[in-house]
Amino acid sequence: MSISVAHLSKIYRIHKKAPGLLNSISSLFLRQYESIPAVKDISFTVQSGELIGFIGPNGAGKTTTLKCLSGLLYPTHGDIKVLGFNPFDRNKKFLQQIALVMGQKNQLWWDLPPMETFLLNKEIYEIDDLQFKKTLAQLTDLLDVSKLLSIQVRKLSLGERMKMELIAALIHSPKVLFLDEPTIGLDVVMQKKVRDFIGDYNKLHQSTILLTSHYMEDVRQLAQRVLVIDRGQILYDGTLTNLVNKYAKYKTISIVLDEHVDVQLFRQYGQIDSIDYPKVTIKVARGQTKATASALLQSLPINDLNIEEPDIEDIIRDVFSSSQQKPSRG
Amino acid sequence: MHPVVDHKQGMSGQNPKLYLQIFKNTWSEIMTYRVNFLFWRIRMVMQMLVVYFLWNAFYANRTALFGYSREMMLTYVLLISIVRTIVLSTTTVDIGNKINQGDLSNYLVKPICFVCFYFSRDMADKLLNLICGIFEVGIFILILNPPLAFQPDLFVTSTFLVAAGIGAVLYFYFSLLIGFIGFWSTEVWAPRFLSLTIMEFFAGTLFPLDILPQSLYTISQVLPFHYFIYFPIKVYLGQLTQTEILAGLTVSVGWVILLLLLTRYIWSKGLKIYQAEGK
Repeated sequence: MSISVAHLSKIYRIHKKAPGLLNSISSLFLRQYESIPAVKDISFTVQSGELIGFIGPNGAGKTTTLKCLSGLLYPTHGDIKVLGFNPFDRNKKFLQQIALVMGQKNQLWWDLPPMETFLLNKEIYEIDDLQFKKTLAQLTDLLDVSKLLSIQVRKLSLGERMKMELIAALIHSPKVLFLDEPTIGLDVVMQKKVRDFIGDYNKLHQSTILLTSHYMEDVRQLAQRVLVIDRGQILYDGTLTNLVNKYAKYKTISIVLDEHVDVQLFRQYGQIDSIDYPKVTIKVARGQTKATASALLQSLPINDLNIEEPDIEDIIRDVFSSSQQKPSRG
Repeated sequence: MHPVVDHKQGMSGQNPKLYLQIFKNTWSEIMTYRVNFLFWRIRMVMQMLVVYFLWNAFYANRTALFGYSREMMLTYVLLISIVRTIVLSTTTVDIGNKINQGDLSNYLVKPICFVCFYFSRDMADKLLNLICGIFEVGIFILILNPPLAFQPDLFVTSTFLVAAGIGAVLYFYFSLLIGFIGFWSTEVWAPRFLSLTIMEFFAGTLFPLDILPQSLYTISQVLPFHYFIYFPIKVYLGQLTQTEILAGLTVSVGWVILLLLLTRYIWSKGLKIYQAEGK
């Protein structure tokens, strides 16, 4: 097992300050604190070589969890073991085997070419010359950036910089990789390149990867397993397919009609989703899709019929909105 | 939950090639901002000129003031410029911001000692400033040929360098502690500015401290700043007895140990509440 998290909670203690100069002055003398639970009693385990995606809205606790796992944050409660180490101890052997990439933070030296950061990391991680050359050649090749190594970081584009960040983070071939929004702000082409790279890297090196992303496509393409997290709690832990089966109560049947029919006719088959003649889509309960489809084909002038899974985004939105109906805010 | 916190991570040493690379990167970084550095040096030269000509004017028709001969005083004033580069040059001023903006995370997730990283960065910075300082003072002496008191005793000169070295370590820890305020507050600039002003005064960066009224001088003696500029230069000028030198070195080493322990303690406290912000 690569990672185990048991009953992890992280409560931030935030200094509360009302706006305005007077309040600023009074807060100098009387400090008020507010406890904000970011993660509440979560537990999960990760096998080595797994690629796991965290899904959740802003402030759900995804980043906090990654920060606890990489030893940046001191957990309020609970036990974490990563590669057998307690991350917060920041044992040298632990740090040599992990990496954290934050899409909105950079470790590259802004005024120097990326190569200087790589060379510094080479010494920090005590990588020998041969290994360094090999890894660097492989990574620059995979990411197609070998020509940019000696250009000042500030002059690189956002996408190029993200690729360099990935190289800087992977130069020591970490066993466990934490990726926090690695594709944020990138255009679709660059997003796909970075995404493909992460997938290839995981397969090539059998490294354990934990990934958060706002882009469903990242998670859909990469993660074998997802953790849906909201308000600091895990709502779902499993494969995406099972998530769909569990939470998607409907499938969508889209129909292309041959001739005009009274749309009211569709009401008996399911809930009408959209009408854009000659196209009609209806939502049908999962168990009844086959029967409904054949009934439709027999009774109506249908040119084409498709049974589709609902959008993963829609399902996840449903999961979140159902969790929000529970009065669980602590 | 985790009673044992390993202080050594973030505090202990590593391989020499690492420090070489830090040196290299720091210098390249300074060279990227050549104009910045040049202007900084010009500011230092101006400061030297102001203090020098001010004191020179005081001695217009006197041979001694406050128990200092003209040679002694002018030597003190010019040596400030050199000792400054050794003791007060630092790159640690941005640590408070690094903590506040979450950039500290970059160091924490790596097997690198944060304090050692900054120490070697400071060494690179100090070395570059020292070279410039010696050059500037050298030119100044060549042009104006002021009356100066050179220390002929090699042993005393070496003791002076040791005292300046201790001063550098002291100031390093002092500056780190000011930066660590960032763990608790976002207002890191005001405390740094205030402490710098007080420090500069009590370190003797404008005049030798023993010309102060006795009460102020006594205060200066119990502060660590005493050992930043004033004490090393007094050693160089040969105005201290062997006992005074020994006592001064002992106390300053005591300060180093105290500040070192305090830094470790504050660091481990700070890391526990560090929020790795920056989104």
